[in-house]
Amino acid sequence: MHCHATLDRTFFALSDPTRRGILERLGHGPATIGELAEPFGLTINGVKKHVGILEDVDLVVTAKVGRARECRLGPAQLDDATKWIGDYRRTWRRRLDRFGAYVERADAGR
Amino acid sequence: MSEDITFARVIDAPPEAVFAAFTGQGGQEAFYSEPGWSVESECDLRVGGVWAVTFGRSRDEVFRHEHVFRVIDPPHRLLLDTTESRPDGGVLRYETELTFQARDGRTLMTMIHRGLPTAELREEHQAGVPGAFTRLERVIERPPVDPS
Repeated sequence: MHCHATLDRTFFALSDPTRRGILERLGHGPATIGELAEPFGLTINGVKKHVGILEDVDLVVTAKVGRARECRLGPAQLDDATKWIGDYRRTWRRRLDRFGAYVERADAGR
Repeated sequence: MSEDITFARVIDAPPEAVFAAFTGQGGQEAFYSEPGWSVESECDLRVGGVWAVTFGRSRDEVFRHEHVFRVIDPPHRLLLDTTESRPDGGVLRYETELTFQARDGRTLMTMIHRGLPTAELREEHQAGVPGAFTRLERVIERPPVDPS
């Protein structure tokens, strides 16, 4: 069970779109700090800061692998198969939102 | 087991503009774009024609969605047969209906996925969806908009 302080920190960790993107990326498999930096256009230090916030609430764990630091989803994840549809909904809702924003930008320019 | 899922969004543009964007290159790529991912979309806009989209983080991990147009009724409605192919070889097939309804100069865009093979989706979820995100989303997720 989450105490309120942990939940607050977890909500804070998830409030940033870059950190949500990092979680989604790690959902596909582990990645080093360097591998996370490039697609998000961040510096190594920027990624470390975001990963640190996620690590603080166990959403991500990191480990030294050779000279790199590897990140993977942390123990806060629960394999909740009954919620599978939530991810599906989220993906398509995000697509619809992005498309809507694109049309609104294009239409406003006319 | 299968089920239908409905998505809706009000877009601040008339249905003609929304329909044109959704059937055009820029809108289709915007629909599928993810930060850092590449998207390629080719659309043969005619009944029986295919809208094929390939997207992914790298060439080694490519998702492909193929939509075959069954109904094209501009600027009101599209009906598509959709096939999703994943990098792991998984395939999903379902029907997609899109409607574009005028709402005071805006558009209520509704997307319905019909006949989703939920058992296969569940397997996909268990294979690698970020569970932490899912679990926390349970707390913060708002219910989907009911378009009716």
